[in-house]
Formats: sequence, structure tokens, C-alpha cells
Amino acid sequence: MTPSELPARSTRSVALDLLSFLALAAAVALATAAVLTAGVLLLAGRAQAAEPGALLIRSLDGRALANAPLLATDVSFRVSGMVARAHVVQSFRNPSSDWVEGVYVFPLPEDAAVDRLTMRVGERVIEGQIQERQAAQRTYARARAAGQKSALMDQERPNIFTSRIANIAPHESVAVEIEYQQTLRYEGGRYSMRFPMVVGPRYIPGVLRVSAQEGHGWSPGTDQVPDAARVTPPVLRPAAGRINPVRIRVTLDAGVPIADIASPYHEILVSSPSANRREILLGSATTPADRDFELSWAPLGAQAPQLAWFTEEKSGRHYGLLVLLPPSASPATRLPRDVVFVLDTSGSMAGSSIQQAKDALHTALARLSPGDQFNVIEFNSSAQALHPRAVPVSPASVRRAVEWVQGLQARGGTEMAAALSLALDGEDDPRRVRQVVFLTDGSVGNEEALFRLIRARLGGTRLFTVGIGSAPNSHFMTKAAQLGRGAFTFIGRIDEVQQKMAALFAKLESPVLKGVELVWPDGVQAESWPSRLPDLYAGEPLVVAAALSRLQGELRVRGSRDGRLWEAQVPLASSAQGSGMGTLWARSKVGGLMDSLREGAEEGPVRAEVIDLALVHRLVTRYTSFVAVDWTPARPRDADLKVAAVPTNLPDGWEYDKVFGELPQGSTDSRFAMLVGALLLLFGWIVARSSRPRRLA
Amino acid sequence: MSPDPAWGAEGAWPQAPASGRRPRAFPKRSLALALVLLGALQFGQGAWIQAKAWVAQALIAQAWARTLMGEAHAKPWPWADTWPVARLRVPALGIERYVLAGADGSALAFGPGHLVGTPAPGDAGNSVVGGHRDTHLAFLKDVKPGDLIEIQRADGRSVAYRVIETLVLDKRDMWVAKQEGPTRLTLVTCYPFDALRAGGPQRYVVFAFELENRGGERGMRG
Repeated sequence: MTPSELPARSTRSVALDLLSFLALAAAVALATAAVLTAGVLLLAGRAQAAEPGALLIRSLDGRALANAPLLATDVSFRVSGMVARAHVVQSFRNPSSDWVEGVYVFPLPEDAAVDRLTMRVGERVIEGQIQERQAAQRTYARARAAGQKSALMDQERPNIFTSRIANIAPHESVAVEIEYQQTLRYEGGRYSMRFPMVVGPRYIPGVLRVSAQEGHGWSPGTDQVPDAARVTPPVLRPAAGRINPVRIRVTLDAGVPIADIASPYHEILVSSPSANRREILLGSATTPADRDFELSWAPLGAQAPQLAWFTEEKSGRHYGLLVLLPPSASPATRLPRDVVFVLDTSGSMAGSSIQQAKDALHTALARLSPGDQFNVIEFNSSAQALHPRAVPVSPASVRRAVEWVQGLQARGGTEMAAALSLALDGEDDPRRVRQVVFLTDGSVGNEEALFRLIRARLGGTRLFTVGIGSAPNSHFMTKAAQLGRGAFTFIGRIDEVQQKMAALFAKLESPVLKGVELVWPDGVQAESWPSRLPDLYAGEPLVVAAALSRLQGELRVRGSRDGRLWEAQVPLASSAQGSGMGTLWARSKVGGLMDSLREGAEEGPVRAEVIDLALVHRLVTRYTSFVAVDWTPARPRDADLKVAAVPTNLPDGWEYDKVFGELPQGSTDSRFAMLVGALLLLFGWIVARSSRPRRLA
Repeated sequence: MSPDPAWGAEGAWPQAPASGRRPRAFPKRSLALALVLLGALQFGQGAWIQAKAWVAQALIAQAWARTLMGEAHAKPWPWADTWPVARLRVPALGIERYVLAGADGSALAFGPGHLVGTPAPGDAGNSVVGGHRDTHLAFLKDVKPGDLIEIQRADGRSVAYRVIETLVLDKRDMWVAKQEGPTRLTLVTCYPFDALRAGGPQRYVVFAFELENRGGERGMRG
């Protein structure tokens, strides 16, 4: 028998055979399908709950850039002791042949006291004036319409600012120079400072509405974030390259010998003119503004100070900055703890951020002790908890949590309120310590609503924030931790996870210095901020800005830890000379006044007080802005002015499509699977036939 | 549907044992059995996607009836985490579909999905609905400019739209979800309609504007 004999068989019997076989196969397939359908309905994957929330829907390609000014930023810091003064130069070059107004939304540290703005056009330097926000905007609008070069700087959030430069001539460059002052962070014996470079795309919750406030962002205003258009600068697709180069120079005078200096996220060049001093330069001249810059250093050996007290005299008043590090202690009794971990799995976390967050969570889970209880909550467009209630720590429950966390994917929105409501139940059980560890990049536009939620539902719980990724929202991290009476930390790289989480856990486990209060000596009138001092965790110093009538007598600082009283004395006269202490005090007071709004203070009087303070100390606040006008008319009457928003980079490590979305995928593999299935059945039939014993013709 | 050239090579493979010496029956039988099982599984998988798409719509129809009675977020089956937000009809084609909340893969398996962040179908603004071109939105290839689309909202009111334009775009053309402009329905599915595999970059988009019979009572969108 050879294959050539096959056609001799009746075609009809072959066809019948094939038909009956296919009918059987189809029956089997349909039965399988029915069973699988029942199965899939049971195992249906979690659909993203569709709560209202603005999608991130405007993107930017190369064409839209034609008119946008090109930006380069040059930053120099002078650091002395506990204080840094920054000089930020934003150079805008108009590459087009039109007259252009540039709008640039950029971040600064959340506690930056911005007290100077100048505009530089060629050799001309125009000093900016601080004005009430609306007045400044009117001054700017008038100058803009009159064709005069002008610059305006508004504050949108404590860490988001907008600069606008009107009437940049074709192919011309204009620079806006900003100066700010900042207190360094001092913790665990290390000083550090951060310089954010990019506003990460924020999730804007709420229902879209006709924009109440103008702006050039990719999101229109919503009922929850009316000013969304002002805090969502256009983002360039990473494929189009990186823009906005930054140069940084730091002149550091620590006042004590420096042991080591580190910049975890950028290459730096360090020179050492003396034991106490360092000159630092960014290693690359073309560093794009796409992630926070951090610099930290430690004093040599036993030089770590326990106390620093700087003062400055200004118009008859003494302004002082106190930094006091209480000695740490180990707990007398250890109460059992309930720890709730909250993990942000929104689209902005996709990429390296979610890896860092998962790694941090695994590290934290491994550190729980038997006797404690824990739970894990993940959230994006909606929030879900691993367990309905906290469960006891056991190898099995921890393993289960690790597996659950490992399977989570970062996508969807950032409905943080749902997660916070789930984590903060408002309960207060004195027999247990309840702590919430919140891992997020904080990329939301509705910070204020969340702060109010934290305040209302905190109860006896303590909230700790872990800022994840290359450009976390520092305002959210620090304020949420302050209102949650916890602490914050930042993780920007996977290899920092172990050390940062260990430090955080040391805080979770050590007793807190509570009820800290200041007793000023008799005869000294003092106004110090913050007005309510925070609880202090291990390694954290007390930082207070004060305005005093005289430097005399002894300040006593009191608190209690583990039921025991702790007290320290500071002789006020023994202060070191500082500069810019008045500015820091005023910035601190503005922060305290803004906080009081959340506690129910009326906006009218607070606004008036902030404006008075800001006008005296020349500060940019929510209610005051800098404006600079060059009175020489520049733009001819018949030339149009084009407005262009300066695009920003996507923060390093983020995934564009997870943040800005794609159109839904509108197809399945069902036809392909059915075709492949049918072909396999056909081949099966052919093989089955050819294997059957046949009679010779 | 034209066969991919790659099929030629695979198609040649099963014939090889049929030549030369008399083949032994046993390995052939198990090969046949394996092929049939694999084939049934593959076919079943494909059929299952189709089956659950249409079975689910029937369950969702009941949930929609409950929605119209006033139940919020009526779930079609108890463990579902999506729910119908509108009913979509194309009278000319005799089409009726229930639109689910959320336009991600897990909702789209059961029905066309409403893109989170855009107004609900029937509300003012640009409502974006996505769906699969080989199940619920396969009918879009027959939709032509001028056709009427009817949306029933959760409160029972109906809103009529007229198809203005159909376009083939890229999946990254998120501008179609922008809110500026008249109140409209934007239907998105994959393109081309007869592609075998899922996941291509092209999208087929149908734009339908609200008929202007109720313009006065609704606010304009920025």
C-alpha cells in the first residue's frame, strides 16, 4: 500500500468520516467550552472598579513642541551648618520665530522659603516684587498685554511652583533666577538635602468640570482638584528623548570635619578644600531633570552634634533655629503591635517603583515578630485588603502575604482616599500599638482632601509614609506623616530598601518622645513654630524656629518617654551666628498658619496674616507671588504672542503607557484559538485514518 | 481568511509518517489522540471566550433590569466587580449590548466597557466605550456614518446619537478621549476586524454625536 492508493477510496465515505469526526470534535469542544465558561465566571479576574476619576488623557508628541521654549536649569547651593541657600537659574530660549510666553511648572523642596526672584534679559537684571497673588497676576497680565518682558512666580502647592515669562522675542533667551532657603534634614547622625527636578504626573480624582482656573496642564479641573490644569505640566514621551538639562554645584561648609558624602541617585565630582568643606559638582553636564537629587553627609566620628542653636538679629528681633537631638533609649515594655501595610499599585508605580515598593514590603513583613498582627492593603482605582481584619504573624500568614504582594500589578488610578479609609479605622486600643506603613509615590492632585481624611480618622493609629521612586511627592509624604503623628522616609533605588526599611523599623519599634514642650525663660517674649511640637522617633531631632525679644536665660525642653520625664536646657545666649534665620522662621510660621486651616480656622484672617508676613519677609506663599516687569516695551503691537507650556520629562523609571493610558484593547485570541484547534483536530483525524488497517483495493 | 504562509510548513509535518515502510499503529494512534485532545482544548478555549462573552451578556441583561429598578451597581453575578452602566442599541442592525463599568481586559471579556474617567454614556461630555472586535463590538464594521445609536441610561432615560465618522487610529491616540467639544459617544475596538491574533496597535474608532434635541438643558463642556 502506498499513499497514492488513497484517492481510490470512495470520496463519499471520506467526507462522511470527516463530517462525523468533526461533529464529535465540535461536541467535545462545546462541552469543554461550557465547563470552562462556568469555571471562568467563578474565577473571573478582578475588574478595576470604575469609580469616578480623571484619566490622564493628554499626551504630547514632537509636533506640539514647536513653540515651547527650551529650558536649562543651573542650581548652586551654599550649605553652612544646618541651612542651605539655593540659587536656581531657569534659562528659557525661544527657538521659534514667534513671540512666546513660556509657562513652566516645577517642583522645589516642600519647606523651601522662596524669597527672591530676578529676571535677566541679556545684561539687564530686573528685581522681582512680592505682591498679593491676584495683584501680582494683574501686574503680570498688564505687562504681558503691553508687550513688556515680565516674569511671574506662583505657588500651587508647597512643593509645586509655576513660572511664567511673557514676551520672549524670537530666538531670544530670558533667565528667571530664584533663591530659596531651607533647613537641612538631620537624622540618624546624617545631614541630607533633596532637590526635586520634576513634577511627576499626578492622578486627578473627581468628576471633570468646566475649569474654574486657567492652566495649561493635561488635566482639566475636577470637583476634587479644581486647579488640576495648573499642576499637570505636559509630559514628553520618553521615546522623544530627555529634555531640560540641569547643572548642580554645591559649596558645603559643614562646620565640623566631614566623614563621608554621598549622592545616591547621581554621579558627583567632589573636591575637598579642607576637612570641613567640600565642593560638589554633578558628574554629567547633560543630566536631565527627571529625578530628585539628594546629597547627604556625616560628620566625623563623635562630632555628631546633639544641639545646634543659631540666631540672627533683624530689626530689633532675634530669630533663632534650634536643632536638638534627644538621646535614644530602648523600650521598657514592648506592647504588641498591629501593622497595616498599604501598597500603591497605581499606574504611576509601574516600572522600578513597584519593584522597590514590593521589596520594601517583603523586608518589612520579614521583620514582624510573633505576637504582632498585620494586614496588607493594595489600592489603585479601588482598594482591597488581603484579610478582612489584621491576622496574627506566623510563617504561613507571612508567606501568604508575600505571595499575594508578588502577584500584584501596577495599573489604573490612585484613589488614595479609599485606601486611607480602609487603613485608618479611627479605633484606639491602649493595649496595642497600631501603625500604618504607607508605600506610595504620592502622585495625586488632591493632597488637601487626603490630609483632612487622615486628621479625621487617625484615632490612636500612627501613620508612616515611605516615598517610593525617582520623584515622590515630598509634600504629601512629610505632611501625611506629620498629621499621622508618624515619620517618613524615601526610597529611590532598590539597593536602598534594606537600610531605609531597617531605619524605619527602628522607629516603629522604639519608644517615642511625646508631649514635647518648650518653656521659655521669664522676661523673654518668644513665638516659636511649629506651635504644636511633633512626637519624636529614634534618631529624629527637634527642629524649632523662634522669634525672641532677647537672648537671655535658659530654654527648657521637656518631654516624656515610656512614662519617664526627659528634659534638656539650652542657654539662649550661647548661640552661633546664622543668616536667614528670619526667613526660616517666617516660612515655618506660614506653614503653621496654613495647617490651622485644616483645623477649622477661617480662611479670611489666616490669609491676611500670611500676606502680612510674606510681604515683610518677601516670601512666595499660596497667597503671595513674585512678579518682575521690564518697563521697556519689547513686542511690537502687531506681533502675536503664543503661549507654550514647557514640557517636562517623565520621571526616571516610570512607564508612560501605564500613566497616560492607551485605548482599550479591543480583541481576543478566540478566533486564533479556534482555528488552531480546528487544524489540530484535522491533523488528528488524518493521522487516525492513516493508522487504521485497510483492505487492499 | 487567508492562511498565513507559516501554515504551509506546519501543514506538511503530519504527512511524513505516511510514506515508506508499513507504519506501526500504536505511536500513530497516540499521536492522533494527542492531536485531537490538543485540538479540542484549543478549540474549546476559543469557543469558551465566545461563549462566556455571550452568556455573560444574558446575565448582565438581568442586572440591567435591576439597575433600572433603582439598584446601584447591580452585579450580574455575585462575585463580579463590574456592573452595567448603560444599554447600547443600534436599531438599524438589530444590535443590543450592555456596557460595563471599566474598559480593562477583565470587564471587556463580558461586555463593552466604559472607560474610567470619561462621563457615563448618556451624560454630557465625551463618553468612551471600548470592546472586542471579535465579540461585542464586531458589529462596528457594519456601522456607517448616519446610523443611529441609542443609549439607555441607568435612570431609564434614552439618549440618541448619530454616527459622524469612523477612523482607523493607533492605540496611543488618547486624544479621542478628550472632553472638549460636543456631547458624544466614542466607540473603540481593535483593527483590522479579521486579524487572527489579539494585541495589535491599531484601533477602529466610531464617533457619534448626540442628537441636538435636548441641547438646552445640558451644560457645555470645556
